[in-house]
Amino acid sequence: MEILEQRAAWESNFRSGWLAQHQQTGEFDWKRYQRPRNAEPVTGFGIPLATSRIVLISSAGGYLVRAQQPFDAAHPYGDYSIRTFPLYTPFDQIAYAHEHYDHTAVNADPQVLLPLRHLNDLENEQWLGDVAPQVISFMGYQPDVSRLLDETIPAIVDAAKAMGARGALLVPA
Amino acid sequence: MGLIARALELTGIATTLTSWNADRTVPIKPPRATYTNLARGATLGRPGDLAQQRRILEATLALLEQDAPLAPVYFPEE
Repeated sequence: MEILEQRAAWESNFRSGWLAQHQQTGEFDWKRYQRPRNAEPVTGFGIPLATSRIVLISSAGGYLVRAQQPFDAAHPYGDYSIRTFPLYTPFDQIAYAHEHYDHTAVNADPQVLLPLRHLNDLENEQWLGDVAPQVISFMGYQPDVSRLLDETIPAIVDAAKAMGARGALLVPA
Repeated sequence: MGLIARALELTGIATTLTSWNADRTVPIKPPRATYTNLARGATLGRPGDLAQQRRILEATLALLEQDAPLAPVYFPEE
């Protein structure tokens, strides 16, 4: 089982196609971009929610507006770094550095992407064992899957393990 | 997100996700996922609709109790 099957072929296609096109012309040709896909599923065991720690992972580009550097949302090739911030952060301390979705909904109600209070409630109701103390956040525009595999994913895995998570809830923007 | 879910699952952390974009996510084969007809930027539900958000959240989290892989779960939420 692999995270991405036929990675070398994907990288070759990316570099000679979408990336080369942009480097040569400054134009994005998304018809040349090969979306990642897999033939085989991965297997894993289920966990008991009521006794497990769950970590929230968000690609909305959230960061602490007064304490952290924003993601490089304008970069044509994306940003592959992560941020973490406390689950109990007030929403008015979180901003969103991500130029590839409309922020109207998240500005009106942050829980459409960051369900921090809902998760607090589920923990208090003993529906979940507990929620990891930090949210793992990144900016989900990452066209270079090689960098996602080599930079973003190891950082996320390390952070999730360091928090003792048995399960992860992933919420894309 | 699908690739991140696969990576975490392979390290022993069970994963679940919800997405409005089944067309791009299903082919990656994440271990467990729900799919809706919601809008980009409002993955868990309409702004202010706490009941809808909670419904999608609970349904997605509940998948964690089952062994993976699971077939994609589609919700008509919009």
